[in-house]
Amino acid sequence: MLAALCLQTTEEESERRRRELDQLLLQVGQGDREAFARLYSLTRGAVYALALSLLQDTHEAQDVAQDTFVRVWERGPSYRSQGSPMAWLLTVARNLAWSRLRHSGRQVEVGEEAWNALPASMPEVSPEDRVVLQEGLASLGAEERRIILLHAVTGLKHREIAALLEQPLSTVLSKYHRGLKKLKSLMKGENEP
Amino acid sequence: MTDRELELKLAAALERTAPDDFEAILSRCGVQNGSVTELKELVQDQKVIDVEAVEVKPKKRLNRWLAAACAALVLAGAGGGGLIYHQSYAVASVVSLDVNPSIELKVNRAEGVISCTALNTEAAAVLFDMNGGADLKGTKLDVAVNAIVGALVREGYLDSISSAILISVEDNDQERAQRLQAELVASVDGVLQAQAPGTSVLSQVLDADAPALEYMTFDSGLSTGKSALVQKVMEMNGTLALNSTDAFDKLAALSVEELNDLLKAGEKRIPIGKAAAATAAEEYAGTLAMNSVTTDVDPELDENPPHYEVELKTVWGEFEYIVDAFTGEVLRGQKDLLNQSPAGQDSPVNPAPPPAAENNVWQDPGNSDTISGTVIDQETAKKAALDNAGLSESDVTDWKVEREWDDGRLEYEIEFWCGTTEYDCTVDGHTGAILKCGIDHHGNSGSGHHSDSHHSGAGTSTNTATSADIGQEAAKAAALAHAGVTESQAVKLKVERDWDDGRLEYEVKFEVGRMEYEYTIDGATGAILEYEWDD
Repeated sequence: MLAALCLQTTEEESERRRRELDQLLLQVGQGDREAFARLYSLTRGAVYALALSLLQDTHEAQDVAQDTFVRVWERGPSYRSQGSPMAWLLTVARNLAWSRLRHSGRQVEVGEEAWNALPASMPEVSPEDRVVLQEGLASLGAEERRIILLHAVTGLKHREIAALLEQPLSTVLSKYHRGLKKLKSLMKGENEP
Repeated sequence: MTDRELELKLAAALERTAPDDFEAILSRCGVQNGSVTELKELVQDQKVIDVEAVEVKPKKRLNRWLAAACAALVLAGAGGGGLIYHQSYAVASVVSLDVNPSIELKVNRAEGVISCTALNTEAAAVLFDMNGGADLKGTKLDVAVNAIVGALVREGYLDSISSAILISVEDNDQERAQRLQAELVASVDGVLQAQAPGTSVLSQVLDADAPALEYMTFDSGLSTGKSALVQKVMEMNGTLALNSTDAFDKLAALSVEELNDLLKAGEKRIPIGKAAAATAAEEYAGTLAMNSVTTDVDPELDENPPHYEVELKTVWGEFEYIVDAFTGEVLRGQKDLLNQSPAGQDSPVNPAPPPAAENNVWQDPGNSDTISGTVIDQETAKKAALDNAGLSESDVTDWKVEREWDDGRLEYEIEFWCGTTEYDCTVDGHTGAILKCGIDHHGNSGSGHHSDSHHSGAGTSTNTATSADIGQEAAKAAALAHAGVTESQAVKLKVERDWDDGRLEYEVKFEVGRMEYEYTIDGATGAILEYEWDD
């Protein structure tokens, strides 16, 4: 019963968030800077997480996140209410990230390059954040990391993530479960004395 | 730590390290573009299939209808050529074909194809050999539809015994729509009779001028036809009245076969879907980490209990799992395959068979016909089923035969009808023995439905259907009463009907706290034949 209640609450929260983002995007389309600031504060983590997971470079991810919000502002009047405002926003970010990868001559699909999630401009990171973001995610494959980050940070459903990354849903689900298992086992090891 | 807690921790850590440079962004933000642009312009690099999906369809369609009508009017006014333009390029009907791939065809009044669009990634793969659908432009509608259906069969989308294809015709001329619908159904039925006889052909006519569907989502990849089918399910299960976009999303992700099963069974719950069922089976089998394992999932949502049949194809054979359609619990199947396989690796060069499989079976599950003497062919299996039923081929109709691999052994699942009686048999693909045979009488008397089934040990069974059957509820009550528990106390309660040496039995299993109970109840008398309590 408790689990069902929690699930319901999560779904209600997710629907409330969807409506809020939708409303904010419409207001941004009318030139409302306060709405733009609120939209940024609610979604900057998600946009940055997607960019970081695709580019694997904190500087480039920061640039793409900035470009994404500038693009959203400029094209705001063209936004129309539809299913998932978060998926819309992340599609803009994804295309900018892919475009950057192509222009820089790197492979669109970044392979198993070194994972570095901690910005150099942020030397003071708590040990716990370091463990989960850096060491934990570094133990995963690039795809597993991307899917787990997107699920954890953006609130997108697996189906939406599959569409965003142009992957079959079954691949997304299996990589998600496999990655989460690895991450949990690593975190468990870290917590043990 | 639960999955959710771990995700929250990860999200919080990323939120803390994500740069906050709103001021820098604001300094780059100039004047907004005032003109209204389509989302597809904003979403650059998006493939065509996605662009089609992100547009708000009903509005788009209305605009295109208006545009087509206006173009026709202008050109008609300009001279005789206008009429030709109208007939060639104006969209008269929109035909969609949905299985899981969804494909949309726009046709003119002369039933020529103006465009063929893949609405999702799976559809793009189906149309790959037809230049993404462009090769079908200019062909007659029935030719295009037959080509697509042929490709769907080749790609394996219609190979299950219970596959379903939905044909929807959208037109503001309902008479023309109904004529097209009838023609297409007859044509597709003809193709499928020869290539995929188990497939159901569903069809519907939609009014192009009807009010817009409410639930068109960003990445749904849905045709209007499938949206309408989803809405029918939502009407049935009550989520339409709740305006639940979540229910729409979940249902839209299902195949036409699954949606059709839900409607047939009047099932109001929403199943987990094929992908989640495959993952559940793979987790149970311990093969999630193996890239070489492929899955084939067949939904059986109109059976009791509703379930998915998942076939895992591994290097050492094929294994079948039955997954509860709503909880994802694996109800039947071999656990931890890797622990059973001496090779224990992803792609062993010379894998040893799991203990349960025979050497001459596991090595070549996909091409067993090449193993001389080890398997029987389809005709022999059909004859075994007929002999078991005491019928001859001329007595029966509507054959459906499917080859299945169950834990490394070949089985034939055979369905046929004799009058109003439906037979459903499982025949051992190696010995021809009848492993299971169910009989459903679809007569007009009583409830109109009565089911018998029996198992046979060594292929010497007879149809010993009996009229003395206490029923599942009585069997369950007998077991619960013996255990001294009430139904509300019991969890994971399962009742299975079974035949053992010609005797009808019920196997009742449930748990209370840490205690597991298992009963075998005489199906004719309600007597307890066996029971076991396990702490």
